[in-house]
Amino acid sequence: MISLRANRRDVAVGARAMVPWLAGIVPFGLVIGVSAAHADIPALAGWLTGPLIYAGSAQLATIGMLNAGAAPMAVVAVALIINVRLIFYSATMARYWRGTPWWWRLVAGYLLVDPSVAVGLEGYRQLGRDRGHAHYLGGAVLLWVCWLTAIGVGAAAGGGLPASLHLEFVIPLYLAGQAISKLADPALRRAIFVAAAVALLALTAPLQLGIALAIAAGVAAGLTVRPAGPTRSSRPLQPATEIPR
Amino acid sequence: MNAWTVILAAGLGSFLFRLSMIVLFGRITMPAYLERAPELVAPAAFAAMAATGVATICLGLGIGRAAAPLVAVSVAIIAVLRTGSPQAAILAGMPALWIATALLPS
Repeated sequence: MISLRANRRDVAVGARAMVPWLAGIVPFGLVIGVSAAHADIPALAGWLTGPLIYAGSAQLATIGMLNAGAAPMAVVAVALIINVRLIFYSATMARYWRGTPWWWRLVAGYLLVDPSVAVGLEGYRQLGRDRGHAHYLGGAVLLWVCWLTAIGVGAAAGGGLPASLHLEFVIPLYLAGQAISKLADPALRRAIFVAAAVALLALTAPLQLGIALAIAAGVAAGLTVRPAGPTRSSRPLQPATEIPR
Repeated sequence: MNAWTVILAAGLGSFLFRLSMIVLFGRITMPAYLERAPELVAPAAFAAMAATGVATICLGLGIGRAAAPLVAVSVAIIAVLRTGSPQAAILAGMPALWIATALLPS
Protein backbone atom coordinates (compact mmCIF):
# COMPACT_ATOMS: atom_id res chain seq x y z
CA MET A 1 0.00 0.00 0.00
CA ILE A 2 1.36 3.43 -0.98
CA SER A 3 0.40 6.01 1.63
CA LEU A 4 2.69 9.01 1.62
CA ARG A 5 0.37 11.16 3.73
CA ALA A 6 0.47 8.67 6.59
CA ASN A 7 4.27 8.45 6.32
CA ARG A 8 5.26 12.12 6.10
CA ARG A 9 7.95 11.59 8.70
CA ASP A 10 9.52 8.82 6.56
CA VAL A 11 9.47 11.14 3.53
CA ALA A 12 11.41 13.70 5.57
CA VAL A 13 13.86 11.06 6.85
CA GLY A 14 14.48 9.91 3.27
CA ALA A 15 15.14 13.50 2.18
CA ARG A 16 17.56 13.99 5.07
CA ALA A 17 19.39 10.78 4.13
CA MET A 18 19.95 12.23 0.67
CA VAL A 19 21.61 15.44 1.93
CA PRO A 20 25.19 14.03 2.23
CA TRP A 21 25.01 12.91 -1.40
CA LEU A 22 24.18 16.44 -2.53
CA ALA A 23 27.70 17.66 -1.65
CA GLY A 24 29.08 15.63 -4.54
CA ILE A 25 26.08 15.89 -6.83
CA VAL A 26 25.43 19.64 -6.93
CA PRO A 27 28.94 20.53 -8.25
CA PHE A 28 28.55 17.88 -10.94
CA GLY A 29 25.20 19.38 -11.95
CA LEU A 30 26.83 22.82 -12.14
CA VAL A 31 29.58 21.39 -14.41
CA ILE A 32 26.96 19.88 -16.73
CA GLY A 33 25.07 23.17 -16.81
CA VAL A 34 28.21 25.13 -17.67
CA SER A 35 29.16 22.63 -20.38
CA ALA A 36 25.64 22.78 -21.83
CA ALA A 37 25.84 26.57 -21.97
CA HIS A 38 29.13 26.42 -23.90
CA ALA A 39 28.12 23.55 -26.22
CA ASP A 40 26.93 24.08 -29.75
CA ILE A 41 23.36 22.99 -28.96
CA PRO A 42 20.28 24.97 -27.84
CA ALA A 43 20.55 25.86 -24.15
CA LEU A 44 17.13 24.37 -23.42
CA ALA A 45 18.11 21.10 -25.10
CA GLY A 46 21.18 20.92 -22.87
CA TRP A 47 19.09 21.50 -19.75
CA LEU A 48 16.51 18.95 -20.90
CA THR A 49 19.14 16.20 -20.65
CA GLY A 50 18.48 16.57 -16.90
CA PRO A 51 14.79 15.60 -16.73
CA LEU A 52 14.93 13.31 -19.80
CA ILE A 53 18.15 11.30 -19.39
CA TYR A 54 18.58 12.01 -15.64
CA ALA A 55 22.00 10.38 -15.27
CA GLY A 56 25.04 12.65 -15.11
CA SER A 57 27.67 10.81 -17.09
CA ALA A 58 25.25 9.95 -19.90
CA GLN A 59 24.16 13.60 -19.97
CA LEU A 60 27.77 14.75 -20.14
CA ALA A 61 28.54 12.29 -22.93
CA THR A 62 25.45 13.38 -24.87
CA ILE A 63 26.29 17.08 -24.59
CA GLY A 64 29.99 16.55 -25.35
CA MET A 65 29.41 14.30 -28.36
CA LEU A 66 26.66 16.53 -29.81
CA ASN A 67 29.04 19.48 -29.42
CA ALA A 68 31.79 17.51 -31.22
CA GLY A 69 29.48 16.74 -34.13
CA ALA A 70 29.18 13.01 -33.52
CA ALA A 71 26.66 10.93 -35.46
CA PRO A 72 23.26 10.99 -33.72
CA MET A 73 23.05 7.20 -33.44
CA ALA A 74 26.55 7.08 -31.93
CA VAL A 75 25.50 9.63 -29.29
CA VAL A 76 22.37 7.66 -28.39
CA ALA A 77 24.36 4.40 -28.33
CA VAL A 78 27.04 5.79 -26.00
CA ALA A 79 24.43 7.33 -23.66
CA LEU A 80 22.59 4.01 -23.45
CA ILE A 81 25.79 1.99 -22.99
CA ILE A 82 26.68 4.22 -20.04
CA ASN A 83 23.17 3.78 -18.63
CA VAL A 84 23.07 -0.01 -18.89
CA ARG A 85 23.63 -0.11 -15.13
CA LEU A 86 20.09 1.24 -14.71
CA ILE A 87 18.82 -2.23 -15.68
CA PHE A 88 20.64 -3.65 -12.67
CA TYR A 89 19.23 -0.94 -10.40
CA SER A 90 15.80 -1.76 -11.80
CA ALA A 91 16.34 -5.42 -10.89
CA THR A 92 17.51 -4.43 -7.39
CA MET A 93 14.39 -2.38 -6.62
CA ALA A 94 11.89 -4.63 -8.42
CA ARG A 95 11.54 -6.97 -5.43
CA TYR A 96 10.30 -4.07 -3.27
CA TRP A 97 7.91 -2.73 -5.88
CA ARG A 98 6.22 -5.97 -6.87
CA GLY A 99 2.45 -5.60 -6.56
CA THR A 100 2.54 -1.79 -6.31
CA PRO A 101 0.26 0.33 -8.54
CA TRP A 102 1.49 1.17 -12.05
CA TRP A 103 1.63 4.88 -11.30
CA TRP A 104 4.07 4.17 -8.48
CA ARG A 105 6.31 1.97 -10.60
CA LEU A 106 6.41 4.61 -13.35
CA VAL A 107 7.26 7.45 -10.94
CA ALA A 108 9.65 5.50 -8.73
CA GLY A 109 11.29 3.90 -11.78
CA TYR A 110 11.82 7.28 -13.44
CA LEU A 111 13.66 8.49 -10.31
CA LEU A 112 16.06 5.50 -10.27
CA VAL A 113 19.70 6.58 -10.25
CA ASP A 114 22.76 5.74 -8.14
CA PRO A 115 22.03 7.87 -5.02
CA SER A 116 18.27 7.20 -4.97
CA VAL A 117 18.94 3.44 -5.09
CA ALA A 118 21.44 3.67 -2.22
CA VAL A 119 19.18 5.81 -0.02
CA GLY A 120 16.09 3.82 -1.01
CA LEU A 121 17.64 0.45 -0.19
CA GLU A 122 18.66 1.72 3.23
CA GLY A 123 15.07 2.82 3.85
CA TYR A 124 13.61 -0.54 2.85
CA ARG A 125 16.11 -2.34 5.09
CA GLN A 126 15.42 -0.15 8.12
CA LEU A 127 11.71 0.61 7.77
CA GLY A 128 10.26 -2.28 5.80
CA ARG A 129 8.46 -2.25 2.51
CA ASP A 130 5.48 0.10 3.06
CA ARG A 131 7.29 2.85 4.97
CA GLY A 132 10.31 2.33 2.70
CA HIS A 133 8.30 3.66 -0.25
CA ALA A 134 7.90 7.03 1.50
CA HIS A 135 11.58 7.04 2.46
CA TYR A 136 12.62 6.32 -1.13
CA LEU A 137 10.39 9.04 -2.54
CA GLY A 138 11.60 11.66 -0.04
CA GLY A 139 15.24 11.11 -1.01
CA ALA A 140 14.63 10.65 -4.73
CA VAL A 141 12.48 13.78 -5.16
CA LEU A 142 14.96 15.97 -3.25
CA LEU A 143 17.76 14.64 -5.47
CA TRP A 144 15.73 15.31 -8.64
CA VAL A 145 14.93 18.90 -7.62
CA CYS A 146 18.53 19.69 -6.62
CA TRP A 147 19.94 18.07 -9.76
CA LEU A 148 17.77 20.05 -12.17
CA THR A 149 18.31 23.25 -10.19
CA ALA A 150 22.10 22.80 -10.27
CA ILE A 151 22.09 22.24 -14.04
CA GLY A 152 19.89 25.31 -14.52
CA VAL A 153 22.14 27.49 -12.35
CA GLY A 154 25.25 26.21 -14.15
CA ALA A 155 23.70 26.87 -17.55
CA ALA A 156 22.57 30.38 -16.57
CA ALA A 157 25.90 31.35 -15.00
CA GLY A 158 28.12 29.54 -17.50
CA GLY A 159 26.76 31.39 -20.53
CA GLY A 160 27.92 34.75 -19.18
CA LEU A 161 31.46 33.76 -18.26
CA PRO A 162 34.37 34.98 -20.44
CA ALA A 163 36.08 32.66 -22.94
CA SER A 164 39.46 33.43 -21.36
CA LEU A 165 38.50 31.17 -18.46
CA HIS A 166 38.75 28.18 -20.84
CA LEU A 167 35.71 26.51 -19.29
CA GLU A 168 35.74 23.98 -22.14
CA PHE A 169 38.51 22.34 -20.12
CA VAL A 170 36.27 21.75 -17.08
CA ILE A 171 34.70 18.58 -18.51
CA PRO A 172 37.95 16.76 -19.44
CA LEU A 173 39.40 17.65 -16.04
CA TYR A 174 36.29 16.49 -14.23
CA LEU A 175 36.22 13.22 -16.17
CA ALA A 176 39.94 12.65 -15.61
CA GLY A 177 39.46 13.24 -11.89
CA GLN A 178 36.62 10.75 -11.72
CA ALA A 179 38.65 8.12 -13.58
CA ILE A 180 41.91 8.61 -11.69
CA SER A 181 40.21 8.46 -8.29
CA LYS A 182 39.19 4.87 -9.10
CA LEU A 183 42.64 3.53 -9.99
CA ALA A 184 43.02 1.63 -6.70
CA ASP A 185 40.65 -1.11 -7.90
CA PRO A 186 42.51 -3.54 -10.24
CA ALA A 187 39.54 -4.16 -12.54
CA LEU A 188 38.69 -0.47 -12.78
CA ARG A 189 42.36 0.39 -13.30
CA ARG A 190 42.61 -1.96 -16.27
CA ALA A 191 39.31 -0.71 -17.69
CA ILE A 192 40.43 2.92 -17.34
CA PHE A 193 43.87 2.48 -18.93
CA VAL A 194 42.58 0.38 -21.81
CA ALA A 195 39.68 2.76 -22.48
CA ALA A 196 41.99 5.81 -22.48
CA ALA A 197 44.52 4.09 -24.74
CA VAL A 198 41.91 2.91 -27.24
CA ALA A 199 40.29 6.36 -27.23
CA LEU A 200 43.62 7.97 -28.16
CA LEU A 201 44.36 5.35 -30.82
CA ALA A 202 40.87 5.81 -32.28
CA LEU A 203 40.96 9.60 -32.07
CA THR A 204 40.56 9.97 -35.83
CA ALA A 205 37.69 7.49 -36.05
CA PRO A 206 34.69 9.06 -37.80
CA LEU A 207 31.67 10.38 -35.91
CA GLN A 208 33.32 10.00 -32.49
CA LEU A 209 32.83 6.24 -32.72
CA GLY A 210 36.21 5.83 -31.03
CA ILE A 211 34.61 6.65 -27.66
CA ALA A 212 32.08 3.82 -27.98
CA LEU A 213 34.86 1.47 -29.07
CA ALA A 214 37.04 2.58 -26.15
CA ILE A 215 34.26 2.03 -23.60
CA ALA A 216 33.59 -1.47 -24.95
CA ALA A 217 37.32 -2.32 -24.90
CA GLY A 218 37.73 -0.94 -21.38
CA VAL A 219 34.78 -2.88 -19.98
CA ALA A 220 35.95 -6.07 -21.70
CA ALA A 221 39.45 -5.58 -20.25
CA GLY A 222 38.04 -4.91 -16.77
CA LEU A 223 35.97 -8.09 -16.89
CA THR A 224 39.15 -10.14 -17.36
CA VAL A 225 40.28 -9.22 -13.82
CA ARG A 226 39.06 -11.71 -11.23
CA PRO A 227 37.50 -9.98 -8.21
CA ALA A 228 39.41 -10.61 -4.97
CA GLY A 229 37.28 -11.60 -1.98
CA PRO A 230 33.65 -10.47 -1.89
CA THR A 231 32.33 -9.17 -5.21
CA ARG A 232 32.40 -5.42 -5.51
CA SER A 233 28.78 -5.41 -6.61
CA SER A 234 27.79 -6.36 -3.06
CA ARG A 235 29.50 -3.25 -1.68
CA PRO A 236 26.96 -0.54 -0.78
CA LEU A 237 27.16 2.79 -2.55
CA GLN A 238 28.71 5.56 -0.47
CA PRO A 239 27.71 9.21 -0.44
CA ALA A 240 29.83 12.12 -1.64
CA THR A 241 32.32 10.06 -3.62
CA GLU A 242 29.66 8.78 -6.01
CA ILE A 243 27.56 10.82 -8.39
CA PRO A 244 24.33 10.34 -10.33
CA ARG A 245 26.28 8.94 -13.21
CA MET B 1 18.12 13.45 -36.17
CA ASN B 2 18.88 16.76 -34.47
CA ALA B 3 19.97 17.47 -30.89
CA TRP B 4 16.38 17.43 -29.64
CA THR B 5 15.58 13.98 -31.01
CA VAL B 6 18.93 12.58 -29.87
CA ILE B 7 18.27 13.74 -26.30
CA LEU B 8 14.68 12.46 -26.49
CA ALA B 9 15.82 9.05 -27.77
CA ALA B 10 18.54 8.74 -25.11
CA GLY B 11 16.01 9.77 -22.46
CA LEU B 12 13.38 7.30 -23.66
CA GLY B 13 15.93 4.48 -23.79
CA SER B 14 17.15 5.32 -20.28
CA PHE B 15 13.57 5.32 -18.97
CA LEU B 16 12.94 1.90 -20.54
CA PHE B 17 16.13 0.61 -18.87
CA ARG B 18 14.79 1.88 -15.54
CA LEU B 19 11.44 0.17 -16.02
CA SER B 20 12.80 -3.03 -17.59
CA MET B 21 13.33 -5.29 -14.60
CA ILE B 22 10.52 -3.70 -12.59
CA VAL B 23 8.18 -4.90 -15.31
CA LEU B 24 9.96 -8.20 -16.06
CA PHE B 25 10.74 -9.12 -12.44
CA GLY B 26 11.13 -12.88 -12.04
CA ARG B 27 11.02 -13.61 -15.77
CA ILE B 28 14.66 -12.76 -16.60
CA THR B 29 17.89 -13.41 -14.68
CA MET B 30 21.20 -11.72 -15.42
CA PRO B 31 24.33 -13.80 -16.19
CA ALA B 32 26.61 -13.61 -13.14
CA TYR B 33 29.64 -12.32 -15.03
CA LEU B 34 27.64 -9.39 -16.38
CA GLU B 35 26.86 -8.18 -12.85
CA ARG B 36 30.34 -6.60 -12.76
CA ALA B 37 29.98 -4.82 -16.08
CA PRO B 38 27.87 -1.81 -14.97
CA GLU B 39 30.44 -0.52 -12.49
CA LEU B 40 33.13 -0.69 -15.17
CA VAL B 41 31.16 1.27 -17.75
CA ALA B 42 31.24 4.73 -16.14
CA PRO B 43 35.00 4.76 -15.30
CA ALA B 44 35.82 3.44 -18.79
CA ALA B 45 33.56 6.09 -20.34
CA PHE B 46 35.10 8.83 -18.17
CA ALA B 47 38.63 7.76 -19.15
CA ALA B 48 37.76 7.54 -22.86
CA MET B 49 36.04 10.93 -22.91
CA ALA B 50 38.76 12.59 -20.84
CA ALA B 51 41.53 11.30 -23.11
CA THR B 52 39.58 12.31 -26.21
CA GLY B 53 38.75 15.72 -24.77
CA VAL B 54 42.30 16.59 -23.74
CA ALA B 55 43.76 15.30 -27.01
CA THR B 56 41.22 17.22 -29.09
CA ILE B 57 41.90 20.46 -27.23
CA CYS B 58 45.69 20.03 -27.53
CA LEU B 59 45.52 19.19 -31.23
CA GLY B 60 43.23 22.19 -31.78
CA LEU B 61 45.68 24.52 -30.09
CA GLY B 62 48.71 23.21 -31.98
CA ILE B 63 52.07 22.02 -30.65
CA GLY B 64 53.24 25.44 -29.49
CA ARG B 65 50.21 26.18 -27.28
CA ALA B 66 49.41 22.64 -26.07
CA ALA B 67 51.81 22.92 -23.13
CA ALA B 68 49.34 24.78 -20.88
CA PRO B 69 46.54 22.16 -21.01
CA LEU B 70 49.09 19.37 -20.60
CA VAL B 71 50.51 21.09 -17.51
CA ALA B 72 46.96 21.50 -16.17
CA VAL B 73 46.14 17.83 -16.70
CA SER B 74 49.38 16.79 -15.02
CA VAL B 75 48.65 18.99 -12.01
CA ALA B 76 45.08 17.64 -11.87
CA ILE B 77 46.28 14.02 -11.93
CA ILE B 78 48.80 14.65 -9.15
CA ALA B 79 46.16 16.45 -7.08
CA VAL B 80 43.69 13.58 -7.37
CA LEU B 81 46.34 10.96 -6.62
CA ARG B 82 47.48 12.87 -3.54
CA THR B 83 44.04 13.76 -2.15
CA GLY B 84 41.94 10.86 -3.44
CA SER B 85 39.23 13.37 -4.26
CA PRO B 86 37.97 13.61 -7.87
CA GLN B 87 36.97 17.24 -7.28
CA ALA B 88 40.66 18.09 -6.82
CA ALA B 89 41.10 17.72 -10.58
CA ILE B 90 39.09 20.88 -11.25
CA LEU B 91 40.17 22.73 -8.11
CA ALA B 92 43.87 22.28 -8.97
CA GLY B 93 43.70 21.85 -12.74
CA MET B 94 41.81 25.02 -13.71
CA PRO B 95 44.07 27.45 -11.77
CA ALA B 96 47.07 25.57 -13.20
CA LEU B 97 45.66 26.08 -16.70
CA TRP B 98 45.17 29.82 -16.15
CA ILE B 99 48.65 30.26 -14.70
CA ALA B 100 50.32 28.14 -17.39
CA THR B 101 48.43 29.97 -20.15
CA ALA B 102 49.65 33.30 -18.76
CA LEU B 103 53.26 32.23 -18.17
CA LEU B 104 54.14 29.81 -20.94
CA PRO B 105 55.13 31.21 -24.33
CA SER B 106 52.54 30.60 -27.06
